Amino acid sequence: MAVITRGLRPRTPSPDGSLAVARPAGPAPAHRMITVWCPDWPVVAAGVAVDEPAVVLHANRVVARSPSAAAEGVEIGQRRRIAQQRCPDVVLLDHDVDRDARAFEPVVRAVGRFAPRLEVVEPGWLCLAARGPSRYFGGDERLAEQLLAAVGQSGVGIADGRFASAVAARLAATRDRPLVVPPGRSAAFCAPLRMSWLHDLGEATADLVGLLVRLGLTRLGDLAALAPGDVLARFGTPGCHAHRLAGGDDGRPPAGTEPPPARGIERRFDDPVVQLDTVAFVAKQLADELVADLAADGRVCTRLIVTAETDHGERSERAWYRASGMSAAAMVERVRWQLDGWVARPGEVTSGVVVVRLVPDEVRGDDGDQLGLWGGRSAADERAIRAVTRLAGMVGDAGVLVPAWQGGRLPSDRYRWVPASTTDLSDPDDTAERLRPTAVSERAGPWPGSLPAPSPTVVLPELAPAELTDADGYAVQVGGRGDLSAAPATLAVADGAPRPVTAWAGPWPVEEWWWDPARHRRMARLQVITADGAAHLVLAEHHRWWITGHYD
Amino acid sequence: MELTATVAATVAPTALAGERTLPVAAALVPLLPEGALVRGRAVACEGAAATSLAVALTVEATASGSWVAVVDVPWLGVEAAAELGVPLERLVRIDPAPDERNGAAAWAELMGAVLDGFELVVTRVPPRAGAAVLRRVRSRVQHRGAVIVTVGGRLPGAWSPDITVRAAAATWEGVERGWGHLCGRRVTVESSGRRCPRPRRAELWLPGPGGVIAPVAIDAAPDAAQLRPAG
Repeated sequence: MAVITRGLRPRTPSPDGSLAVARPAGPAPAHRMITVWCPDWPVVAAGVAVDEPAVVLHANRVVARSPSAAAEGVEIGQRRRIAQQRCPDVVLLDHDVDRDARAFEPVVRAVGRFAPRLEVVEPGWLCLAARGPSRYFGGDERLAEQLLAAVGQSGVGIADGRFASAVAARLAATRDRPLVVPPGRSAAFCAPLRMSWLHDLGEATADLVGLLVRLGLTRLGDLAALAPGDVLARFGTPGCHAHRLAGGDDGRPPAGTEPPPARGIERRFDDPVVQLDTVAFVAKQLADELVADLAADGRVCTRLIVTAETDHGERSERAWYRASGMSAAAMVERVRWQLDGWVARPGEVTSGVVVVRLVPDEVRGDDGDQLGLWGGRSAADERAIRAVTRLAGMVGDAGVLVPAWQGGRLPSDRYRWVPASTTDLSDPDDTAERLRPTAVSERAGPWPGSLPAPSPTVVLPELAPAELTDADGYAVQVGGRGDLSAAPATLAVADGAPRPVTAWAGPWPVEEWWWDPARHRRMARLQVITADGAAHLVLAEHHRWWITGHYD
Repeated sequence: MELTATVAATVAPTALAGERTLPVAAALVPLLPEGALVRGRAVACEGAAATSLAVALTVEATASGSWVAVVDVPWLGVEAAAELGVPLERLVRIDPAPDERNGAAAWAELMGAVLDGFELVVTRVPPRAGAAVLRRVRSRVQHRGAVIVTVGGRLPGAWSPDITVRAAAATWEGVERGWGHLCGRRVTVESSGRRCPRPRRAELWLPGPGGVIAPVAIDAAPDAAQLRPAG
């Protein structure tokens, strides 16, 4: 039976063999936490030289930039084009989360020497309990200095609770000195902070933060000043969580409303497994089961402990924390990072893995953030986005395309197809910008010179030659005034047989780029219905006829 | 209460893998034996309005949250799809790498990856694909609970779709000899096949005025006044 000490929770195996995590009785004390945050970690992980301007891109947007690029005005979240305008010499790098995780391993190990109880949030951001190490090193300031010396260029923040210490770490990164918030002063520290910190650190959705700002609550202190009952009634559980954080509280619910302890899941292999892919595959199954288990109770896991043991008794155990809760994919990702780092150390692992265990150490109520009840990302969205990435690997970036609004008069000009890798399918703002016309056309009216709905369902990527002849067999001409020389009688598509024309409408002339001799085009469009009931959109240019689409 | 019902309808997760069917536009309900697209089935669209029918079948399901993959159909008109009601944010086009020799095998491998992520697939079937390859793809469709809609020319016999939807007669309205513009098309659609014991028929506007699908009302003739030439 483990001895209960402050800050540690006993793990007792329950009768059915699963591992239950019991919670301490009484209100949860605000733990003193240290956060170590390495700014722009993806750039550091890519091995860029200190003075070289570089950005790391994901779906065409900047996720991290080097100091010299930042000095030129490159901001996180900018599009690639804007970043290149600000800094033309910038080196573009692709975002590789696995590379970030591998590069972060040495940092985790260095910090791990100070405190065993650390948790990694993401590559570049880790968090540990401060109480024990602080006593050992003789004070918070000393501990912070030691950490800074061990890790190097980073921000170290110490405060009550994870949120406050994460904010402190980010502020410390800009000042190059650790920031220590005295015990009990977290509320005063948080009060003047802008509301957007809640979203930046993953504790609240952008919608909630936007709502709070629109209601006039621009600082965390404003939110903390409201009565908790009112906040719960108006904003629900997520608002309540944000309210607690704004007040400097750790955010963990008091013992009275504790959810029942969550069960861990483990898998034992009969034979030691040496392939990491197999372990990752099993981890995926465990993660799916765990997430489904938790979701059935309406909860998500915020802190996950991943353990792997080998035949020879070597053990890798690490805690991973994510404020917005972990999906199955996120859990598997972390298992892979942990195992990659563990196996990469020479001499650490001398045999195959026999046990894999996932224990949800902290859970919280699922307020729909994960599964997108109200228009967020759904399970179908996640699956499709993952499939798109995989397909791009199979057929190349140019083989997986999504529509983007362009505008024009010809059906092939209205929408163009862009590679899916240049857009972020998971970002609703990005998608809305890509497909703008539903908003534009309602306000501003149809594109001048375009044909009204319905549009052709078959739009040929290249114009196909056709022949439109009159009753005497001569090609129909479009005169300078936009009139036909004779009534069309037959239409022959490419090398097909000529079909009799029963009806036609047009011609509708189009003149494009009249001011540019090189690009000047004069065309006339005609809708033609042939005897078999099919309708075609034909185009006359340079005294020849072309098919541009069929109304199939 | 009506509000609760409306809210429940909006919030209800659509097309869970546990459910058997994907919804289909109201005008097309009479054509399908279960009044919806049953997961795991293959639907073949043939005839004069094949592409429009294929897109029309996906409209309701994509509007409800499913994603549709268009494989090896590079000539799909996006605007027409948008007019019929497909939300373009859930439309992805995939073009197989051009490789004449191994076309069918490459297509089958691609379909495997596509079916992992998409519940609706619109595609052409390679005409020279072997029976074994086609069987594998079909069993994958059933296993993933997707619906595959085929367009394009002649289907290989081994494909044997569950339902075949064909536009028999099509009449375009709005264009006369030298004036007007295409407004809408009246189509008589027939569905037949293994899952359709009795062939079913429906008369539809596909597309109707403004580009939407609608059933043809009994007094169907459009107002002649609408079809006057401009100016």
